[in-house]
Amino acid sequence: MTLTRRLLLGSAGALAGAALPGSQADAQSRLSVGVVLIGPVGDFGWSHMHDQGRRRMAEVLGDRVAATTVESVAPPDFDRVVTQLVRTGHRLIFTTSFSYFAPTQRIAPQHPGVFFENATGPTMLPNMAIYNARFYEGRYIQGVIAARKSRTKTIGYVATFPVPEVIHAINTVMRGAWSVDPAMKVRVVWVNAWSNPAREADAARALIDQGCDVLCSHTDGPAPLQLANERGIFGFGQASDMTRFAPRAHLTSSVNNWGDYYAERAQAVIAGTWQPKDTWGGLGSGMFRMAPWTNMTPEEVSEAERIRDAIASGRLHPFEGPIVRQDGTAVIPAGQRLDDNQIRAQNYFYQGIDASIPG
Amino acid sequence: MMLLEAIILTVITASTPLLIAALGELVVEKSGVLNLGVEGMMIMGAACGIAAAIFTGSSAAGVLAAILAGMAMAALFGALTLGLAANQVAAGLALAIFGLGLSGMVGAGFVGAQRAGIGKIEVPLLSDIPLLGPVLFNQDPFVYASFALVFLVARFLNRTKAGLVLRACGENHAAAHALGYPVLRIRFLAVLFGGACAGLAGAYMSLVLTPFWSSGMTGGRGWIALAIVVFASWLPGRAAVGAYLFGGITILQLHAQGAGLRVPPQLMSALPYLITIVVLVLIMRLRRGGAAGPASLGVPFVPDR
Repeated sequence: MTLTRRLLLGSAGALAGAALPGSQADAQSRLSVGVVLIGPVGDFGWSHMHDQGRRRMAEVLGDRVAATTVESVAPPDFDRVVTQLVRTGHRLIFTTSFSYFAPTQRIAPQHPGVFFENATGPTMLPNMAIYNARFYEGRYIQGVIAARKSRTKTIGYVATFPVPEVIHAINTVMRGAWSVDPAMKVRVVWVNAWSNPAREADAARALIDQGCDVLCSHTDGPAPLQLANERGIFGFGQASDMTRFAPRAHLTSSVNNWGDYYAERAQAVIAGTWQPKDTWGGLGSGMFRMAPWTNMTPEEVSEAERIRDAIASGRLHPFEGPIVRQDGTAVIPAGQRLDDNQIRAQNYFYQGIDASIPG
Repeated sequence: MMLLEAIILTVITASTPLLIAALGELVVEKSGVLNLGVEGMMIMGAACGIAAAIFTGSSAAGVLAAILAGMAMAALFGALTLGLAANQVAAGLALAIFGLGLSGMVGAGFVGAQRAGIGKIEVPLLSDIPLLGPVLFNQDPFVYASFALVFLVARFLNRTKAGLVLRACGENHAAAHALGYPVLRIRFLAVLFGGACAGLAGAYMSLVLTPFWSSGMTGGRGWIALAIVVFASWLPGRAAVGAYLFGGITILQLHAQGAGLRVPPQLMSALPYLITIVVLVLIMRLRRGGAAGPASLGVPFVPDR
């Protein structure tokens, strides 16, 4: 069931009333799960894939769960939406945006009987778990492929906001690229939005005009990739398989897979074994995968697969030392690697990246 | 030279939806009606444009549908503010919000649908002129339409009787009414024209700039178009200056970032707004073109019988 926010709030009274008589017996056999989305289900990216995760959970657990998706919930509406979900008997609520982290942390203690799960916050509570995917693993592979494909030796990166998630993604792309060719360069444009297709396209145009011939993007939609297709260069898809948006340009996409995690957590609530935990899954645990390799030679595919498998099995770690900041100060020497907290807090570019981090 | 040409080309495509929507709103405001719902009409144009284009397989049908969608939204606004003399500011804001919501519904079935954009039309010979050729004579049809619109709107407002009557309605609707002109009908036609332009601008976004549907894809450009009308002091030529200036700074700041210029992008993102305002205010001061808004702008008119 997919509800819009207004529909949910408008019909909440009716729902609550209608659900009450039969709900006692029902509630014991069936777990109600709420999924709160920051964007529309139809964004074909981030929120879309969380909704796919909700579907997958329903497939796995069948009639043991009933899920409600509330889409396009702006952070100021968050409290009302979640309170409503709690009142209508939802006992496991996924709040699927970093923008919901603080609100979830505030509201979770008010509902001790309800289990909360936030993507992609940093800290937990007794009834609030956090989960995220190691997207940087895919970025490393993108970097390797980009370095193989690029003739101008310049990658263009359509970046969103200067937060660690985006900064370490750019660092990792370059790590991957330098592993093939240390002369690789990157140009970065910050569009200050997660989704603004026309501005993303303009940013992509600017990058291509400046000589970039492989585009990476951090925004939610396919606009930069589509432009790469139009201009005859290469690009990567985000969140979902974006091959069809750019049949000639698409190399590979990082395809998010939240479903197995959602099913596992819902199962834990049903079994009474739910514990707050910090899950940061990657290629190894299947939290995301690399979508079909397209427009690549067999050699490039086998190299990409080799690196993917090395990362998945832990033989290759994208944050191995030596790591040196842009200004020349060393972070860790060779032989060490950054721990998860250091990765999460990364707010500097590596030496060799000729771009700046705003403010 | 190549980079310069590329930049100018991008500036023109980025500015065209702003220019088309601003010209439409300019005519509406000249007739004395303030329609703040440009964003809503524009995004309805974007949604209906791509929906019709995918449904029929024809870009022309998409453009037509976008224009009609913009006009339908405008007609709704006209019915409320002209027919029922409702408050124009409130009705316009409602139209913007309504359009954003409704377009999400129209576009829902077309999320992720893929189609080729509308191509460019090359004017033979002229397009071979260095720099100017590709910029002026190798563009998509919307860009040519926007060039023509600037000229036609300016000519209509300043050189035709119909334009004079329309301006009279905007300056003093009681006087225009006393002279026997059908003020409400003229305003309704102006509002429809504004809707058609906003719809066309929307079609440009979803059929040319980024040929797919994504909810909220106009990203506030309707509001920028509104601002351009005011800063252009209701002159079509200045609206063109404002639109290209805004588009130009927007694109230049992206290039500056890509080139690694160490200026905070937040400041860069604010620059188009700042510079456009400053330049247009300066033009206004220098020319002493004391063109204030139409005197009856936003005032409901109820004809006495």
